[in-house]
Amino acid sequence: MLTCKEVLESLSDYLDADMKEDIVNEMKRHIGSCSDCRAEFDTLTMTIKLYKHEHTQGAQVMPVGCHDRLVKVLELEKMKSKGPQPPKMV
Amino acid sequence: MAIATDEELVRKSKEDDERAFGELVSRYESKVYSLALRMVRNPEDAEDVLQDTFLRAYRGIKSFQGASTFSTWIYRITANSALMRLRKKQLPTVSIDDAEERETPVNIADWTPGPVEQLLSQELQHEMDEAIEALPPEFRQVFVLRDVEEMSNAEVAEILDLSVAAVKSRLHRARLKVRNRLAGYFSDNAKPKRSAMGAH
Repeated sequence: MLTCKEVLESLSDYLDADMKEDIVNEMKRHIGSCSDCRAEFDTLTMTIKLYKHEHTQGAQVMPVGCHDRLVKVLELEKMKSKGPQPPKMV
Repeated sequence: MAIATDEELVRKSKEDDERAFGELVSRYESKVYSLALRMVRNPEDAEDVLQDTFLRAYRGIKSFQGASTFSTWIYRITANSALMRLRKKQLPTVSIDDAEERETPVNIADWTPGPVEQLLSQELQHEMDEAIEALPPEFRQVFVLRDVEEMSNAEVAEILDLSVAAVKSRLHRARLKVRNRLAGYFSDNAKPKRSAMGAH
């Protein structure tokens, strides 16, 4: 029989379906009969849903010019790593 | 023509083929930027992390042994770079050892009924952003990789060089911290009414 403390500690594993079936069944039973643990379970589930929903709304697009600035930084590094170039022969 | 695999591009990059490295940059820059932005939560810092990540990759590609995939390697560099930046800025975060989580349930108010879209007001989004920003950097790394980028525990463990148990523990504590913040928001503000939300 799981205690409330054990249920709370395992809530994330339960939500991620990352536990053995017999413990899943015990968790289910406990959450079904304990209103406090059920509220913990419901609010944690909703928290995850909320921020996942929020993050799928706003795409994280690279700002304009970001790629070009990265290329420039890498080109400078290439020049540095190759050392000073000999003067061009005329 | 077949598209080159990451492994082929890495091999060519090790032989100073700069076009191959350029292809790796094109392939991963958006993902690295997106991951960085979610960790540092500021476009300027995210761009610095992006540049730092590819600079380090460029300098280190010859010593990259291929024990992990290129993607794991580049995300590890990104996560480390973001962590260093967060530590340098020393944003006011909660200590990683701060055990604010409860061990037993304490009659928490249930604000969950209703569709996600209905709960997700601008004010709540702001509250959630602040809650994520207040996470200790080590928690935020795990949280972003697991719950936002939706990587597996094993992948996150490999990227952050942690045990799977440590990833799971940090993830759980991070989720609780965000949830507790939202619970505070709902108890201070208009709690969604079951009757209104579920009315037919």
